[in-house]
Amino acid sequence: MDLFPLWNSLRIAALSCIIVFFTGIFAAYYAARLPRVIKGILDVILTLPMVLPPTVCGYLLLVLFGNRRPLGIFLSQFDIKFVMTWYGGVLAASVVAFPLMYRTARGAFESFDKTLAYSAQTLGLNNTYIFWCIRVPVCRQGILAGAVLSFARALGEYGATSMLIGYTPGKTATISTTVYQLWRTNNEAEAFKWVMINMAISAVVLLTVNMLEYRGKKAVA
Amino acid sequence: MKRIFAIMLALTLTFSMAACGGSNSSGGTSAPTTAPSESSAPAEASPSAEASPSAEAAEDIELIVFAAASMSETLEEISGLYTNLAPNVKLVFNFDSSGTLKTQIQEGADCDIFISAGQKQMNELDSAASAEVNTEGLDFVQNDTRINILENKVTLVVPEGNPKNINSFDDMAAALSGGDVLMAMGNSDVPVGQYTQKILQYYNLDEESLAGSGVLSYGSNVKEVTTQVTEASVDFGVVYCTDAFSAGLEAVDYATAEMCGQIIYPAAVLNVSNNPEAAKAFLNYLTGSEAMSIFEKVGFSPV
Repeated sequence: MDLFPLWNSLRIAALSCIIVFFTGIFAAYYAARLPRVIKGILDVILTLPMVLPPTVCGYLLLVLFGNRRPLGIFLSQFDIKFVMTWYGGVLAASVVAFPLMYRTARGAFESFDKTLAYSAQTLGLNNTYIFWCIRVPVCRQGILAGAVLSFARALGEYGATSMLIGYTPGKTATISTTVYQLWRTNNEAEAFKWVMINMAISAVVLLTVNMLEYRGKKAVA
Repeated sequence: MKRIFAIMLALTLTFSMAACGGSNSSGGTSAPTTAPSESSAPAEASPSAEASPSAEAAEDIELIVFAAASMSETLEEISGLYTNLAPNVKLVFNFDSSGTLKTQIQEGADCDIFISAGQKQMNELDSAASAEVNTEGLDFVQNDTRINILENKVTLVVPEGNPKNINSFDDMAAALSGGDVLMAMGNSDVPVGQYTQKILQYYNLDEESLAGSGVLSYGSNVKEVTTQVTEASVDFGVVYCTDAFSAGLEAVDYATAEMCGQIIYPAAVLNVSNNPEAAKAFLNYLTGSEAMSIFEKVGFSPV
């Protein structure tokens, strides 16, 4: 059995999770400081991929980055093509998973006790230190939850991925697109094997996260 | 305030229920299954050989046609013409790969007429076909209605500008062995994908090893493959000449009968049809000269 989809799905999910982790918490941090109107509009734009159907997201990405569209042609000069490549899958999964990280992180940051930041400032610590060593650790429950959701979403991404990168065995096949194609070509036995593999991965990830959370809680208490 | 709101809500609900209950069956809420019991009486009166069911003011009939995706544009146009001949017949189309449609029929979908892009899918539903092809012993086809209506050709298409300079199926075979290209084809459930597999075999190319080296991109129906070529997401693709024409794509080569056999589209009325007479009338119309002229415009040929 060709195990490429397993490796491909994992790398796409991992890379998307990392990208979305950083962009999500930065967006959540800076969005909180904007004036109300701009914050409202930005919030809508950044949360939109979560509300739109994945196929609509995929279609919009195709319209932006397609090989015959202006942006696509511009990027192809630097040899960057998002259509029909595995890193296009990273783009699609990141776009779709971003709102999850963004909303969860924003919720966590908004419930952050600002007096901690103020006290740190009175002690002369710079903002970067306050952000990474005080704000993020205090909000880590929410941020970790967001990261888990994003990883899960990226791993299970089908609609946008399928439209942007298609199904090319050996190059862009993910577990979700492989299961669909195997079912379509009446290869149900192999499709079922992939379903089991996917469930195993998801179970392992969730168990790990639960363990980390539990250890974290124990350390505090 | 709350009481006023409650009264308004109650009035709205009452009025909407009255509206639903009072309207006649010609409204969109009526199920099409109520129509056949009333329409079968007037339909029997009309001669089924001619495509003229306009003789009586029959009840509104909804004909559900499952047709291969390659017929999307032509059948939509024909349906517009057919309304003039039979204003009481509403044609509802489901366009997808013939393999998908066969599965949907098998799983119990409502359908009056099935038009497949290959004999394989029709044979799998036909009890008159041999047990080798009809492996599941299905019996959905009304045997005396099955006819071959169209012939199509498989073509090699390239995106605008032909980036990899592919000008024939020979070029295609060479490029695939070479390795640095991407070809769009239908998967093995799609008739055009099955024809492409035959072409690959004709050139002694092993599909599995090609897939392993990442040069094949599979689509779920012929329209998906066509779109991938139009968007230049791939370097070339194999679709029908009718799809190439409808999408404005350049067809650089046509497959010969030696490469993939003749592409014949069979059509039949199904046993599960609720309106077999109206279905037969429409099928007859499709073989007539008016419908055939529309088919020939995009590249189909009569059988």
